Parts: sequence; C-alpha cells; structure tokens
Amino acid sequence: MNFDADVLVIGGGVTGCGILRDLALRGIRGILIDRGDLNSGASGGNHGLLHSGGRYASSDTETAAECRIEGEILKRTAPQAIDACGGLFVAVEGDDEGFIARFAARCAAAGIDCAPLAVDEVRRSEPAISERAIAAYAVPDATVDPFRLTIEQVADARRLADSLFLPHTEVTGFDIDGGRIRAARCRDTRSGEARIIRARQYVNAAGAWSMAVARLAGCDDVRVLWSKGTLVIANTRLTRRVVNRLRTPGDGDILVPGGTVSLLGTTSDTVADLDVIRPTPEEVDRNIEEGSVLIPALAHTRFIRAFAGVRPLLLPTGGDGDGRKASRGFTLFDHVAQGLGNFATIAGGKLTTFRLMAERTGDLVAARLGNREPCRTATEPLPALERSSWTEPGHSARTWFAAKNPADSILCECEMVPKSTVDAVLEMAPGAEPQMPLRAIGVRSRIGKGTCQGSFCAIRVTSHLYDRGTYGGREGLGLMRDFLAERYKGTRPVLWGPQMPQAELAETLHCGLLGLDLIDARGQDGEPR
Amino acid sequence: MSVSQASAVIDFKAVADRLLPAGSSYDSCLACGLCSSGCPASGLEGLDPRRFIRMAILGLDAELTSTPWIWTCTQCKRCAQVCPMNIDVSVLVGHARSMWPEEKKPAGIVRSCKAQMLSDSTSAMGVSPEDFVDIVAETAEELRHDDERFAKIEVPIDKQGAFFFVNQNSREPAAEPEEMRPLWKLLDYVGADWTYGSSGWAAENFCMFSGDDAAWKAMVEKRVDAVNALGCKVWINTECGHSFYTLWKGVERFGLKPNFDYASLVTYYAQWIREGKLPVNADWNTKGIKFTLQDPCQLVRKSIGDAAADDLRFVAKTLVGEENFVDMQPCRSANYCCGGGGGFLQAGMKELRHAYGKRKFDQIEATEATYVLTPCHNCHSQMEDLAHHYGGDYRVVHFWTLICLALGILGADERKYLGPDLQDVGLPQ
Amino acid sequence: MNPEPRRITTDVAIVGTGLAGFAAAVFCLDRGIAAVQLGHAGALTYTTGYFDLLGYDRGRSIDDPWRALADLGATWPGHPLARLPRSTIEQAFRRFAEAIGDLGIAYVPPGATNVRALLPTGLAKTTSSIPRTMAAGAAALAEKKRTVIVDFIGLVGFSAKEFVTNFAADWPGLSSAHIGFPDLDGGAEAYPEVMARALEVRATRERLAARIRAVVGDADCVGLPAVLGVHAPDRVHAAMEELVGVPIFEIPTMPPAVPGLRLRELLEQAMPARGLRLVSQHKATRVDLRPDRIDFGYRDNFGEVVIEARTAILATGRFLSGGLVAERSGLRETLIGLPVEQPAGRGDWHRDDCFDVRGHPINRSGVVVDDDFRPLDHDGVPVHPGLFAAGAILAGQDWVRQRCGAGLAIATAWRAVDGVARMSGR
Repeated sequence: MNFDADVLVIGGGVTGCGILRDLALRGIRGILIDRGDLNSGASGGNHGLLHSGGRYASSDTETAAECRIEGEILKRTAPQAIDACGGLFVAVEGDDEGFIARFAARCAAAGIDCAPLAVDEVRRSEPAISERAIAAYAVPDATVDPFRLTIEQVADARRLADSLFLPHTEVTGFDIDGGRIRAARCRDTRSGEARIIRARQYVNAAGAWSMAVARLAGCDDVRVLWSKGTLVIANTRLTRRVVNRLRTPGDGDILVPGGTVSLLGTTSDTVADLDVIRPTPEEVDRNIEEGSVLIPALAHTRFIRAFAGVRPLLLPTGGDGDGRKASRGFTLFDHVAQGLGNFATIAGGKLTTFRLMAERTGDLVAARLGNREPCRTATEPLPALERSSWTEPGHSARTWFAAKNPADSILCECEMVPKSTVDAVLEMAPGAEPQMPLRAIGVRSRIGKGTCQGSFCAIRVTSHLYDRGTYGGREGLGLMRDFLAERYKGTRPVLWGPQMPQAELAETLHCGLLGLDLIDARGQDGEPR
Repeated sequence: MSVSQASAVIDFKAVADRLLPAGSSYDSCLACGLCSSGCPASGLEGLDPRRFIRMAILGLDAELTSTPWIWTCTQCKRCAQVCPMNIDVSVLVGHARSMWPEEKKPAGIVRSCKAQMLSDSTSAMGVSPEDFVDIVAETAEELRHDDERFAKIEVPIDKQGAFFFVNQNSREPAAEPEEMRPLWKLLDYVGADWTYGSSGWAAENFCMFSGDDAAWKAMVEKRVDAVNALGCKVWINTECGHSFYTLWKGVERFGLKPNFDYASLVTYYAQWIREGKLPVNADWNTKGIKFTLQDPCQLVRKSIGDAAADDLRFVAKTLVGEENFVDMQPCRSANYCCGGGGGFLQAGMKELRHAYGKRKFDQIEATEATYVLTPCHNCHSQMEDLAHHYGGDYRVVHFWTLICLALGILGADERKYLGPDLQDVGLPQ
Repeated sequence: MNPEPRRITTDVAIVGTGLAGFAAAVFCLDRGIAAVQLGHAGALTYTTGYFDLLGYDRGRSIDDPWRALADLGATWPGHPLARLPRSTIEQAFRRFAEAIGDLGIAYVPPGATNVRALLPTGLAKTTSSIPRTMAAGAAALAEKKRTVIVDFIGLVGFSAKEFVTNFAADWPGLSSAHIGFPDLDGGAEAYPEVMARALEVRATRERLAARIRAVVGDADCVGLPAVLGVHAPDRVHAAMEELVGVPIFEIPTMPPAVPGLRLRELLEQAMPARGLRLVSQHKATRVDLRPDRIDFGYRDNFGEVVIEARTAILATGRFLSGGLVAERSGLRETLIGLPVEQPAGRGDWHRDDCFDVRGHPINRSGVVVDDDFRPLDHDGVPVHPGLFAAGAILAGQDWVRQRCGAGLAIATAWRAVDGVARMSGR
C-alpha cells in the first residue's frame, strides 16, 4: 500500500510525534513512520524525568536553561502527562565538596530555582534517603509519561490535520531526483510488504538511527554518538520526589518516581551496534551499588525490570567520544550543503527539550512549504485524551474499581487493566490496527508493566483477542510469544529474590502449559535447531 | 457505608512491610490468583485477596481504606494457606478494620463489643454475671427436676481449684438455656472436675472482629484473670470457634500471663471417647442418616490445625458411623469459611453474606448429607441461614446434642436442632 | 502454651509437599516406613495434571521415552533420570500413577510410547500419562473426531475459539461454543475452582449438562476447560458423560487452575488417612544434622516442634517452592546450606532468547547427589549418611523444557526411599 502526505516524518519517538503535531497545528498533514512502534527507542527507554536543568547546571548552562524553559512550557501545555513532584539534589559523605559548594550558583546562572534544605528536614520528608546525606537542594524537577506524550500528540495531529501514524514501517531508501527526495521506499517490518510514501518534505527524527537514515539520503553530515543507558524499575515508589545525587553525573545517581514505581538509572556506555541493546546484570548491579549509597533501601528492594535506551548524542567534530561529556544540545540539519532541498534531520537533544526541537524543525519545514503559520506548541495545550490515561500507573485500577462493573473482567491483575481498556486501545488508540500485536497494546496501556511482567496477562489478553476475533490464527500465539520474549529481555537482568520464583512460574506456564517454546515467532510449529 | 474523607488513609504497603514477615509480604506476590480462587469473598464489592494486594502495591490506599469489603473478609486465612509465598491478607484487613471510625463500622459488631464491656461477663449479648448465675441455677434446677438420672447434677460456678474452666457462648443462657443441658450432662457423665466463672465466662469476642485492639485485650485479660483467680488448670473452649482463637492469639498479641493451659472441648471429646469415658457409638443411627462436618476456621486452620480436624472426624465418625460420615470438600485446614465468621453474621450485610456462603452451600449439597455437625456457633447460624436462603435440605447440629443422643441421655426438649427423623431416637428410658 | 519444644520421632522426615515429597511418602508407606512430611503450598498447584516422563529433547518431541531415557546419559551426563535404570523409573512411575488412582484420581497408565495431549493454546504436547478426565481429548485429537470445545462466560484466560483456531489445520472437525455456567453466568469473573466445586453438586451437573447438550449438535465429543470437580473428578466426569451423552474431556487452564488443586487436596487429605503424618501448613525453619539422626524444627501457633528423624528426604523444590533462593551473588539451598551447582555468574544464568530451545543454564543448577541420591558437600562426600534428595532441586536436569517433571519427581523419590529403607532396615 502506498501513501501521500505533505510531510513524511521518520521516527515515532517523542520528537517525531512532536513534529507531527507541530505541523498539524500549522495545517500541514504528515505521515509519521517508525520501524518499530511509538517510543521504541530512547523516548521509551529513559527515566521519564522532566529536568529542571539542575543536572546540567554545572557543566552546560545553555542546555540547563533550555531544560528549565521547556519544562515550564510542558507543565503548562501538557499537565496531564506530568507529575510536578519536585526534585532533590542530595550529596552524601565523601562527595565532592567543591561541586556541592558551586551548585546553587550554577543553578542561578541558568535561572533554575534552587533552594538549600536542611538535611534532617529532607530525611523527614523522604525517609528513604541515606542518613549519610550531608547536603540537599530542592529544584523544580518533575516526571513525565513519555508514552502519554507521544500518544496524545499523534492523536491530536490526527484530529487537526488527519495526520497518520504507521507503525512497523522502515525506510529502506529514497528516490532522489534533481536535488529533491521524490519518494521514500519503505518496508512493513511485520508483513515484509513494500510501501512507497510520497511527500513534499522529509524529516529525519530517527534518534539513534538518524545517522543511518541520513545516509540513505546520501547525507554524511549527521554524526551521532550512541550512549547506552540502563535503568532498573523498583516494584514500589520509594520517594515522593525525584532524587538526584549531587555530584558529577555517574551511574545510578537518579531515582525517579513513576506513579507507583521508582526508576533508578542510569549507566552510560558507548556502543557500536544498535541491534544488541539490552540491559545486562552487570549494568543493573552498577546502578544498584551506586544508587544504594543515596537510597539504602535499593539494596534489598524488589526490582521488576530493567531496560536500556540509547541516547543519540551529537558528536562535535574532534569530540573524544565520552557520552557523559557530550553535549545534550541538539542540531537541525537542513542538508542544503548535501545537495537536498526537502530533507531535514533533527538530532541530539533530550526528552525535556523535544518540543523546542520540534518547533525548530517545524519552522524550517513550514517555510519550505510556503506555510506562514507560526509555531503554536508553546501555548496551545495538548488535549488530554480521556482514554490515554491508559498509560498512567494506577489509573486503570482506580477507574475500574470506581465503575463497579464486575462483567468488565480484569485481564492484567498486576496493574488491574480490564477488558474495556484493551478494547478501547484496539478501537481508538493511535497506531491501532487489525491483528494488533500484544506488544503494541502494551505500549498503549499498562498491560505487562506490573510485577509479573506479562506472564499472566499475556495469556488472558490473548484469549480475549481470539474471542473478539482480533486474532484468527496461529499468528496470535506468535505475537504472545514475541511480547513475552520482549518482556523477558527486561526481567532477565533482575532475576533474583522474589523475581526468580516469578520467572520460574513464567517458565512453567509459557513452556509447560502453553507450549510457546515449541513454536516459532509466527506461531508455527518450530523447526528444532 | 464508607469512611469519611477526613479519616486517615492507610499506607497499606508500608503496614504490610511492618506487619508481615519478610518473604511473605506484598512484595512477594506472584499475582497467580490462588488466593482469590480459593476465597469465598472474591468478587464481593469488586475485591478479592489478590486485588487487595495489587491495589496496595498500586497505592490505591484511599479505596482500600474505605472499602466495605474488609467486613466481608472473615479473616479466615485461607488465602495464606494456599499461597506459595504464604501471604496473609487477613492481617491488613484487621488493621483496616481498626482504622475505621467507630460510627462507620457495622453497627451490629460494635454493639456486640460494647455489650461485652458492660460487665465482667464479657458477654456480647449483655448477660450480666448475676443473670448468668441465675439462669444457670434455674436451668440446672429444671434439669434435676426433669431428668432423674441427673437429679443430683451440679453445675459449679466459681469453684476454686476446679481442673477445667469451661467457657460458654452467650447464645444459650440468653436465648436457649436448655441447650446448655447436654453439655452439662456429658461433663457430668465423664466426671469432669469443672466450673463456670461468674466473671469472664463468655466465649464470644466481637471486639476482635471490630478491630478494637484495646477492647480485645481487655476482654481476654478479664478472662485470663478470671481463670487465674480460680486456679484452674485448663481453660476449655466449648463449641464456639473463635473463642479459642481470640484467647490464645490475644495472650500472644498482648503478652498476657495465663497460669493455665487452653484446649478445645473437641480435643477432650476425642480423649474421653478413646478413654472409654464417653462410651458412644452409632448404634442409634439405624436409618443410615448421613452427616457431614464443618471445620471451623478459627479452631482448625487458624489455631490447632489438622490435629483438631482429626479429633473432629474421630468423634463424628464414632458418633454417626464411618459409613454415614461424608466429608465436605475441601475440608480440614483447607476448608472454606462459611461466612459466619469475622462478625459477618452481625454486620448487617445479608446479601453479601449469602453470596459468600454459596460455596459453603455447594459443599454441603455435594455431600448429600442430612446433617452438618459443627462445634461453632457462628458456623451453625450461618449454615442454617444458607439452608433457608438457598433451599437446602439439611440441619445443623452441635456435637453435644449427638453425644448425648448416642449416650441415650438427650431429653425430648433438647432436640431443637434435630429434625423429625431424630426426635424419637435414643430418648432416655 | 508449651515452652518446651514438642518432639516427634520418625523413620524418615520428608521435607516438601510437592510431587516428589508425596511420591516419597507413597513409597515409604508401601514399605512400612514411618514418615513425617512437612511443607507449605508450593509449585504442585500449578501443574497441568499431565504426568510427563520425558517428552522433549531441545524442542524435538520424543515418541519413545524409554529409549530416550536409555540414551539420555550421552546428551545429559549427570541427569538424575540418566542415573536410574529403566526398571526403577518404570516401577516408580507406574506405582505412583496407580496409587494416585487408588486415592481418587485415575490416570491412564504410562505406555510404551508417549501420547499427544492438549494445551489450552490449541497446541499439543508430548507426555506420558494423563488423567482419565483428559484422556478422551488425546484420543479425539488422534482420531480427529468431530468435537465441540465449550468455554464459559466470565472464565478469563481460556478461549474455545483460540483452541479451535489454532488446532484448525490439524483437526478439521473442531468447533467452539460459549455458554454460561449455572449461577455464574452474570459476567463476573468465574474461577475454575468454583465451577469445579459446584459440579460436585448433582443439580448443578444436570443444569450444566442441559446447557452443553444444547450446543453439542452433531459433535461426537465435547471438550471443556478443566472444571469437572476437584475432589471426585472421575465421578463428576462419568456423570457428565452420562448426562450429555458423548465422551467429554478436560483441557488444562492457566492458574488458578483445577488439576493442581485436585492433586494437592487429594494428597493432603488421603495420605494422612493412610498413615502418613503430614504437617501441611508449615515449613522447616531449622535443621540439625546429628551423627545418628536429623532434626527438623518448625513453629506452629503454640511453639516449636522438632521432628527427630533417622533419615530425611529433601524434596523442597526450586525457587517457586523455596528450596533454592537466588541472590544477586549466587544461588543458595535454603534449608541446610547444601552446595548448589550453578553457572559462574548471574550473566550466565539465562540465555538471550527467552524461548531458546536449549533452555536456560540456571534451570540445570541444583543440588549434586551421589548414586544413592545423597547430597554431596564441596569435597564430594555425602553431607549426612541419612540425608537424601529428590525432585526438582536436583542438578543436571531441565524438567520444564524436557517435560520430565513427574518422571523426575517420582523416580528420584523412589531411589531416595530405597536409601531410606536400607538405613531403616526395611
């Protein structure tokens, strides 16, 4: 199947979705594609931290200030996706006194509100913090649900300009003629089918893959450093606020509450291959060892999952390749010098600054299309879709419990997601499609996010999908297998303590009861190796 | 019924971490649902044990703090029994009960607890020590008059140094004093050295059900003091399930100092039969009437365990004949609560209680028995009510009734719980 | 109430109430060995009900389990089942299946070859011995009988459509029907356990049978999720077949499911009646290895109890049942602190792909034993002359992937009881 649009945006992360909406607000219809799904890359593999800028205040005043300004804008325009819980920077015995002493002034230089706090007062309000704490500051950090942000931006773009999101669609090449891209040759990674997408403008927002996409268009000016970061998710919320270690950024020094859980991260390791990105036990241990210095409970808490994302960091010419030191800034490439007039790449940056990245890109693309509408994303509130609170932890449970409809069976018991939520995702979520993969339902809801990491709900949801006719053959089993295999990548490095019996039970269920080890990824009887 | 917004919201996860042993706290939950599958309260008020744990982990504390489900959970601990991680939901249900403002708690439970505090009797039906002494004296006098075999029976009260201190559920003195007579007869029959106390004699403890720890402690303390004062060796819990649990658990929980052992009358029934002191058999059951048995959670799973279940079966089978005994399934420590426990009977939640009891009704129906034996007043009342509600064709009887029947000493007016088929069987000559 | 620990003396203490523990108990009672068995709910409740002997080798199904067992030593050196002669495995497996049948759940005895049994996904798996209530399903598949699969309103996680759809290519005569279960048809979640108990009531069977008859059509056979009674499945099954008028079979379901509950309740109830002293709600909390005996301590509501045993069988299972615990630094045996054979580090515990047909190295870890199934210390010497181990805790097997869980539990229990018998002079 072929498609036409004003603009093709490549990359369904938060930036690509932001661009789709930015353009839609200017009346420009876009098609957004991703080789996987929404937030398959760094947008889904991060802390969900809306930086106050404090983290960068000591090293990069400009990025810190950008974070502050963008954070304030998002709190105004997308409050539904944000928990303005506040943040702390806390130092413990042995941390660099000089760094501590300079922190407040650095924050002031970036315009960040930063208030010193008495350590005992901090420990009263956050008892999880170590008694070895020696200094603390409050900053306006917040948390953001990146899944809600992307889902609502895509939904709004659809509402405004009939823009479209196509999941599992990968660019394999561009047809270039006369200094312009005429078409993007794509492939449906699920069916293998070829697709041609024709647009007037092409935007590369492919994050870690942006260098590869640029090269497909013959552009060699984009250089990105891949910095892998691993995070771990604790079963419970350990602190009310974001807690940062007050020191030069290192492993395991940020603990971010995410609704009912806490996310601890991150590591930073430069990688050379994007196809083998998975969290390792060693990275998990590093996070926990460092993290438990600040939050001792981390040493014995139950972790339910680890995940890894790749930060696409712009590599300045002559940079030394250290991810921690590389700029968190972003660059918009117009590729004019590369001989193309309708192609742009936006690269680098951060979750917190995605809107600004989308604005700059939108300005360029709109101008190229002769559209004079200004950017409106800094003022126009992002409509809160009632149903996209699906991704908010505890929301589904609360709504279900209040509705008192016992016939609406709970399919995911850990997160208490009922049948009606799954049905709604199938019917109206952005990217919904016939034979929707369990993984895609998981991205758009809390399915599989809880303690059992999908080991029970995969079975219940799959049965429900067969019942309602979403699946009509073995592919449904293949999709369940794929979903569980993907969840497994995250649980594998945290399998100790109570997660190990959980994993053993999952093994007996998925192999012993369901026979999923006997079929292949398409659900067919497997060819034994 | 719900807790006002003003009252404190409980942090269930934190309380679970504090009250439950490491390795059996909410963090260990595998979400497998065995607890819910095995819980008769599942589905009531939208909750079940697994959901209770999941909601605690998700931080739905306001919902859990105010849900009336905690009054439908009878704290029977079956969830912990079937859980591979041994997670006990009842502990936090008890805590949640304790945190409800008194005016919001089910009035029947609160009223019963208040009644217990009115006098030294600790009687939930408000029977004062003086009334108790009078009722016992009058009933004993009637018995001596009605039945010449028991013309000299003594019913001691406050007998210093008696071996057994026997407790008494208030239902009999308050509403059906003639039902005490079989108990006295069989104690007399075995020649037990026993006494009632005018203080601390009552069995029931609604203060435990109402979640009022201070009152629970006060009740148990009064009972322990009464037994200590009389210098009895063994406190005997009669056919009342929770009175045994409330005593030993109260002693442990509040660090009380009893100078006596505690035992269930069931244990002694078995012992006396083995010793030949209660020469009962099933000869009377010529029609092959079928009996089943309800293991009270409070006595079996929550207290003595399968040893009590074994004794109950030994006694029951001896009384009715092995071939006439049909176990309900599941049974023993795995038995379902009937829905009469935890104060549910007094909580005024009739529809929910009936829904809860459906599993028990099915269990009984599956046995096709005519009678259910049980040594527990709450089980007794609930199962009778279930028969009435669901149209069951069975009756519920106390052990003392059948023991006396088998001994041929059960009077014609002591057969209120027996059906027409047993009104004339084994009447005293 | 009792400040002094109460003491129980016995020939053998069986620690663990899973399949291995109960198999050991059956074999001890057979030989007149006094046994105390101790344990809390474990993994047994999660079983499908199928008794696997040896079903798969790296994803390849095995037709002749006996030949595969004979060859097992070549590919799985040290596999517990490779260390036992066929006669032992066969005798143990048959005896246990027979004993379970005598207790109240009949099994089709293991034969010379494996059979293909049904899974709720609409796939088949290779197993050895299946409960009578499920037997007609394997036959229906083999003979491609016209069959209607029935599921119930409110039953979550089992779909007749899923089963039918996925078997369609293999089994053309399948169809599905969705009906309400008597009194549980309001839409609220209906647990298999509740349905199964309700079916022990005659009136419920009659009402359900009428509803099933209405959807049977021209089918020769009816398949149901496993709900045909908990306590007396054979009786319920026979009664339903008679009422419906065609053969009926059960299909295992996801937890909380009935087949495991059945086995657990049956064994917990029937074994004490046959002379086993079963302490079913407690786990041993301490062990004292003495020269002439082994003491196990546990606490009940009234204080400590000590089991003084001449010999003991450790059948505490793996992580789910608590026999092993995984710590970030490594695996540990929880009760005695026995050495655990295990991969070098946590990074080696699991493979990259969850469904790698080779299975995960951690699942082969466990307690190492000698040929009498006595656990060995770090020097390869038995930890105690009277201590034996059986079941999933043993190293060198992957019972889930190999589909050899029941065979492993039962045959190793037999061998452990051999040792106990020798020590007890029986």
